[in-house]
Amino acid sequence: MIDQFFTFLNEDSVITAMVNIGSMILFFIGLFGLLIQRHILRIFISVSIMEIAVFLFFIGNTFDKRFTAPILGDGHTAFVAMNDPIPHAMILTAIVIGMAVFALGVSFAIEYFKLMGKTDINEMNELGES
Amino acid sequence: MSSIYFIALPLLFGFTTPLLAKLGKHGIAYVSTAMQTLLFVLALSLLVSTNWHIEVISIAPPLGISFVLNEVSLFFVTLFTFLMMLFSFYYLVHRRTNPYHQESKFFILINMLLAASIGLVLSSDIFNIYVFFEIAGVTAYILSAYEKTAKALEAGIKYLLTGMMASVFLVLAITMIYIYLGSLNLAVLSQTFTTLPDNIKLLISLFLLIGFGLKVEIFPLNFWVTDVYEGSSSMVNALFSSIVVKAYLFVFFHLLYLFMPASEYGTFLIYLGAFSMLAAEIVALKQSNLKRVFAYSSLGQIGFIFAVMASENANALTAALFIILAHSVAKMIIFLSIASIEKTYKSVEIKTLKVMHSPFIVLMMLLAMLSLLGIPLLAGFVGKFLALKDFAFTGQYVVLAVIIIASVIESIYYFKIAGNLFSKEEKRTGLDLSVLQKAVFIVLALVLVLVGTAPWLFSGFIHEAAQVMLDSPTYANMLSGGLK
Repeated sequence: MIDQFFTFLNEDSVITAMVNIGSMILFFIGLFGLLIQRHILRIFISVSIMEIAVFLFFIGNTFDKRFTAPILGDGHTAFVAMNDPIPHAMILTAIVIGMAVFALGVSFAIEYFKLMGKTDINEMNELGES
Repeated sequence: MSSIYFIALPLLFGFTTPLLAKLGKHGIAYVSTAMQTLLFVLALSLLVSTNWHIEVISIAPPLGISFVLNEVSLFFVTLFTFLMMLFSFYYLVHRRTNPYHQESKFFILINMLLAASIGLVLSSDIFNIYVFFEIAGVTAYILSAYEKTAKALEAGIKYLLTGMMASVFLVLAITMIYIYLGSLNLAVLSQTFTTLPDNIKLLISLFLLIGFGLKVEIFPLNFWVTDVYEGSSSMVNALFSSIVVKAYLFVFFHLLYLFMPASEYGTFLIYLGAFSMLAAEIVALKQSNLKRVFAYSSLGQIGFIFAVMASENANALTAALFIILAHSVAKMIIFLSIASIEKTYKSVEIKTLKVMHSPFIVLMMLLAMLSLLGIPLLAGFVGKFLALKDFAFTGQYVVLAVIIIASVIESIYYFKIAGNLFSKEEKRTGLDLSVLQKAVFIVLALVLVLVGTAPWLFSGFIHEAAQVMLDSPTYANMLSGGLK
């Protein structure tokens, strides 16, 4: 019974469906957080969750579990039966950039908190028509 | 190979700054300015040379990096390096009295911003466009929050949040494109994009519109812009308004022309741009802060450029490139003037202009504002005239009316500012400008007057650039030729 369940889970169409539905759920969790949270760090985390959802969507849809990583070595001498490297290169870059932007945002929030003692985005109203 | 210098030199400067810092406090400023001058001279020499030809650089095709330097990208590269050079000359004097703290970092940031803006214009695959999109974004967030006051940090946080959202949607668009078409190269995509089913095409276009729309400040995705302009320093606003936004605008329309030539969304984008202009000009009326007024004026002008570029024909695009040229130069004058006003009077309210005594700045601001309004014999007139003529010829009378109404509203608040410039109510105090700063203003003003009085000097090249930008089959062939 358990074995049959795992075989079912390992089918291509089921994996694709899980990735697609899962990343969509993750995206909406992020969007929901972005809309209802007021603490600035939680908002940054929500947007990061949205980013991660998109990364998962990209990798999940271009990854084939029968193929290996596109690296020569360990007995592989030619680029056959290997996964496409472009999505991996793209998403690695995007993860690094996302992390850097997130860290920058947190540092802005810390500096702002030191100056004003506020973390609520609705109370950040130094700017605007006076 | 010269196009590689435009990106490599500013990036190299960024990475070698720790070494250059040994030159002393002033050394690094002079090196940075000299490097930018060199880049401008290089761009100008390409522009005037007769045996120049289009450059396609591909490193490890078709997966690797490829850059295309054709007429239209050369136009933007020349414009960006010219404005950045003058900005640096202005800052050379400005820094004597109030420099930014940890100045070497400021020079890294402005050079990275230049590299990223040029990179956006030259790149011809979406992966690169994404990377430069993010570099330009990150440097812009740091520049925005650079002064570390509460206002600056708030502006930085707002800018960063919208930038993060923009990159989420851009990656989503790239994901869809790669899953359905299996390539990120613009040459391949321009041939295969039209084969997509309509609903997928619509979804990708929507994601691209949201991703770039947040960056090109188009209604209704421009809610953050005025706050960012108010919080950032005026010097930085000059860069945002005249360089960064123009790079994003170019990339957005470059992708649109390549993917969907003569698309059905064109009319929608024209109306979006026109109403974006109208909304911005109406809100600008009741602002009392100079930075906010000109931020809204930028939004209005960008809506106008957006509407004109969305028309997708060579005459309209010629007009759009003229407006981009005039707007970039005029906004550089305006924001540098505001920077000098802010430095002297520590205020950017419109009523500060009542206590300012500087016939030179008054003349410069008037020239820039008249050019933005489109008064004959100044640069703004040429673009606006050509654009309105094109709208009239193509029968877009509603758009024509909206743009004229918006321009009338624009003139009202410009006259309000001019009224304050000439008001005799309060005692005026002087404003110091050095010879070099005046020279920068005079060069910018001369460009406005020269483009306005002798547009035929520029129109040949600009018209050619417009045709090249619209000619996507040739672009694709050239790029795939370079890919072999």
